[in-house]
Amino acid sequence: MSKWRNSFVFALGATVALLVGWVVFPRVLYSHKHQPLDFLHKTHAEKSGLADCGECHSIRADGTFAGLPAVEQCAACHSERVGESKAEAILVDSYIKPGHDTPWLVYARQPANVWFSHAIHVKRANLSCTECHSSYGESDMARVYEVNRISGYSRDIWGHSMSRLRRAPHEGMKMSDCEKCHQQRNVEVGCMGCHQ
Amino acid sequence: MKVTRRDLLVWSAGAAAGLLATPVPWKVLDDVSIWSQNWPWIPQPTRGPVEVKQSFCTLCPKACGLRVRMAAGWAVGVAGSSTHPISRGALCPLAFAAHQLNWHPLRLRSVRHGASRSTWAEAQAAFAKASKEGPLVVIDGYPGRAASSVLESFAEKQGGSYRVFAPAELRALAPYQRWTGIPAASLGYDLENANMVISFGAPLLDGWGTPGRFTRLWAERAAGMRDPQLRLIQIDSSLSRTAARAWQWVEIREGSESALASGLAGALHEQNLVPAHIPVPSMTLAESAAQTGMSVERIRELARLVVAKPPALVIARDDDPPVAALNVLLGSLGKRGGILRHSERVKAYVAAGREIGNARAVLIDASVPWGFVTQGDAEVFRFGAWDGGATKADWLLPAPGFLEELTDLPTAPGCSAPTYGVAPALMKATAEVQSVAQFLCSLDGTLPTTAKIIDSRCEELFRRREGSVYTQEIASMAKFSSVQSFKEQLWKGAVWAGEPALGQQFNCSLTEWPISTRAVSAESWSTDWSAPVMPPLASKLYQESGLRESSPRRNA
Repeated sequence: MSKWRNSFVFALGATVALLVGWVVFPRVLYSHKHQPLDFLHKTHAEKSGLADCGECHSIRADGTFAGLPAVEQCAACHSERVGESKAEAILVDSYIKPGHDTPWLVYARQPANVWFSHAIHVKRANLSCTECHSSYGESDMARVYEVNRISGYSRDIWGHSMSRLRRAPHEGMKMSDCEKCHQQRNVEVGCMGCHQ
Repeated sequence: MKVTRRDLLVWSAGAAAGLLATPVPWKVLDDVSIWSQNWPWIPQPTRGPVEVKQSFCTLCPKACGLRVRMAAGWAVGVAGSSTHPISRGALCPLAFAAHQLNWHPLRLRSVRHGASRSTWAEAQAAFAKASKEGPLVVIDGYPGRAASSVLESFAEKQGGSYRVFAPAELRALAPYQRWTGIPAASLGYDLENANMVISFGAPLLDGWGTPGRFTRLWAERAAGMRDPQLRLIQIDSSLSRTAARAWQWVEIREGSESALASGLAGALHEQNLVPAHIPVPSMTLAESAAQTGMSVERIRELARLVVAKPPALVIARDDDPPVAALNVLLGSLGKRGGILRHSERVKAYVAAGREIGNARAVLIDASVPWGFVTQGDAEVFRFGAWDGGATKADWLLPAPGFLEELTDLPTAPGCSAPTYGVAPALMKATAEVQSVAQFLCSLDGTLPTTAKIIDSRCEELFRRREGSVYTQEIASMAKFSSVQSFKEQLWKGAVWAGEPALGQQFNCSLTEWPISTRAVSAESWSTDWSAPVMPPLASKLYQESGLRESSPRRNA
């Protein structure tokens, strides 16, 4: 009886820990933040004819990546409200008219000690945007930005899967992911390549 | 059912075992390690617009071209600029980490008088008093800049003396100044056109001269070739990095470079390989062989090799007259592939030594290597951006750090073609700093400011209409319609470069074979080169590349 009882209690403890580790911990570890306004990539691609990511996220002539478009670029079409949505009102009234840049939360932001060149990866290695950023460019909602409470990094850096097993190719942007991709493509980059 | 203590222990063991099968321990470990890298007191670059600016390294007189990556107005990365005509994209490990230096824990952030903190006003008052009471000596480590003109003018006005602590590359050219009257700072090696380079211990492939200049030449014209276009004979007492890669390594006893130079001169004369009117050394071949540890026949063979593929150029590690005289013997002065004069506007300088006579005050510029210490009772005012450790200075005055001040960059020591660049202040100073020029201008309002001198130098270059401007492309001076457009390009990091003066006759008054005036030790070269402090990235690069060891103090 005692043997079965011990096994049961042991299994119970293990089960609780597994539940906490796999279910509770991820919810506690990441806090949720919302984008300042609900940006719709899909609408911009379909209605505005901005089919190519580079039309807004361009690579400048000097090879640097422009990143997120500045508010002036949004103002080219949204100098006045072009719809009745709440997001449109926020964009025009809070950012475009006062001339403030929209404080977007960048899912793929790398830490300050990493130098990443979009130009090299897109132009020289011919990687498509979706290989790292998935099909986010076709999304019809601005997804929630999850931030790690300990490290302060976006969840996209670790990837959605807590175990990092059976991840989709675009999931995860840690150094080991960069190394793995470089290894697969037989591209050698020393420490100084990224940590200049 | 009663829960016992045993149940709790078993439950805990189960929970611990279960926890190991969850991401909790591994993820927390990973996150905590990242968190520990982001403590608030660790300087972090501000998020903001990223731009790349062209500029120059101002840490030493080599003035390599840089591409500085700036984020929100702060330098966050440094790389070599491939458009620079001399450095051609190469940098030393220190320059790669230069943007970290401004945040170094040993950065000088306040005026220090002895062991206590002081103020700029007190330092100025003390300096004004000391310089009135007795002779003043001003020591500069980077001559030819606009700031150097300010220092020189001030010393002249005060009746003091302006002296230069020259780098080893410049000291090696000093004998020619004594023999020809041409300032050593206006001479340079035409490495690009030499076919034979005989280095007497100069670490040509290990940081000598402008980084990248000789290494790239060597890579293009010698590396991996059985019969290289550029032959490098390295005369060294040990298998140094340069010796290991040279076309030939000639092993000699340490400190016997002068004896070998005399022996080589004798062998060249003996075999009629050089004109007969050049002075003959009194040292015999047998004496030279005895001192160097080489055989007489090996010295004769080396003499034949030296003249086998002209033009030949001899490079000394330091001020070594017998070695320098070999260039006179080989007719390399003023010739293509030899030693050329790049400018007639450069003045001769008095070399700074540790002896300063009866000086009452000594003002040392931040460009003078930290290890330089004067002897005597004078009150020493030492400028520096970083505290390199023990010093005899009475006053330590914080100077601008990397790219925190406007400065110009004259021709690097050892270069045969004249160059000129301007490095504007790209960043705000992170401490209350003053350059020596600012310090002196605040004492004497009649002195011209650095900015004014740079302006007038740009105007003079524009008026001469010689040379080219190196940006992404090479533009001749004729393309610039106004001095303003020329200045704009220089301020954006372009380099003006002139042509080396070929065919210029050197009136050399070498009437007898010189004797060695000083012992050239292997130590002297590397101590000139070192920086007062070493940022973490540079330390790592040094250690990984094995270039040069850094002391534990510099790793701080």
